[in-house]
Amino acid sequence: MLVLLFILFGGLAIGCAVNVVAQRNPLYCAISLIGVFVSLACLYLMLAAPFIAAVQIIVYAGAIMVLVVFVIMLLNVEQEEKRNIRLGFLVPVAVVLAAALIGEVAFILWSVDPNPTLQPSDIGLTKSIGDALFTTYLLPFEITSILLLMAIVGAMTLARRTGMLSPGARVIPGAQLLAVSDIDPSASHDDQTPISSATSDEAAQILGVVKRDQSKRD
Amino acid sequence: MGPQLSWYLALSALLFTIGVVGVIIKRNVIAMFMCIELMLNAVNLTFVAFASFFGDVTGQLFVFIVMTVAAAEAAVGLGIIIAIFRNRESLDVDDASILRL
Repeated sequence: MLVLLFILFGGLAIGCAVNVVAQRNPLYCAISLIGVFVSLACLYLMLAAPFIAAVQIIVYAGAIMVLVVFVIMLLNVEQEEKRNIRLGFLVPVAVVLAAALIGEVAFILWSVDPNPTLQPSDIGLTKSIGDALFTTYLLPFEITSILLLMAIVGAMTLARRTGMLSPGARVIPGAQLLAVSDIDPSASHDDQTPISSATSDEAAQILGVVKRDQSKRD
Repeated sequence: MGPQLSWYLALSALLFTIGVVGVIIKRNVIAMFMCIELMLNAVNLTFVAFASFFGDVTGQLFVFIVMTVAAAEAAVGLGIIIAIFRNRESLDVDDASILRL
């Protein structure tokens, strides 16, 4: 029974993982990746780790993948276009090396003897994990909080748009930041106050420039 | 007889290899990011398998911390991806081969 479940969820995980690599549309990749996460959570349950399984679903399939899908939707990602393969003569070499690698791994895995058996224990329960986390491994736990703080600060720094520019600045596509004096020299002599615009269209509008894409659309 | 430890290790190695292949052959930054997540999950499976078969809670704690690192990586990585897209209007890694923004 357990073997059947392992084959089911393991096969599901591998199939979804192959699909992640094979798909060209990033949204389909994300959906397949959620499939991998869910089947791995089922494998964790088989390994008597219910807490990790729940966290896997909540954090990975819930939080992280929602973030990824959100970014995919936000950036309106188009499909990856096909390209010609450079270095095509290396394909047979790659196949041979991959076969050698798989052979080595198989040899090592099957020469490990004896295999330990799964013992019924309570290590996967929330209580035992919490006990270890807040006693023996308190320092890594605290360091993790510092890591999360750094991630918050880093994400905010990356997402910030504005900055200070020199008076002679021109419009940089993407940065979309221009000094006030560049737009209207008579308006202000305060060079340190930049005008920031959220999009290229907005910047073009401020400058009175007709963008190429807009003229095409009209 | 249930699944052996080596089965889980083989599955984990396969998933990790698929992730590595994805990182190598993918051109889209978000797809590469998802392949990295796949590799992290393969390692997590190894941790949980060892923890369960050897009856040691440490492996599961490491999985917990790896998930935290993955969450932090998702926040910062997606911020970088948005910054790249803002500068280049493209998510192709070949368009972002120059470090200068």
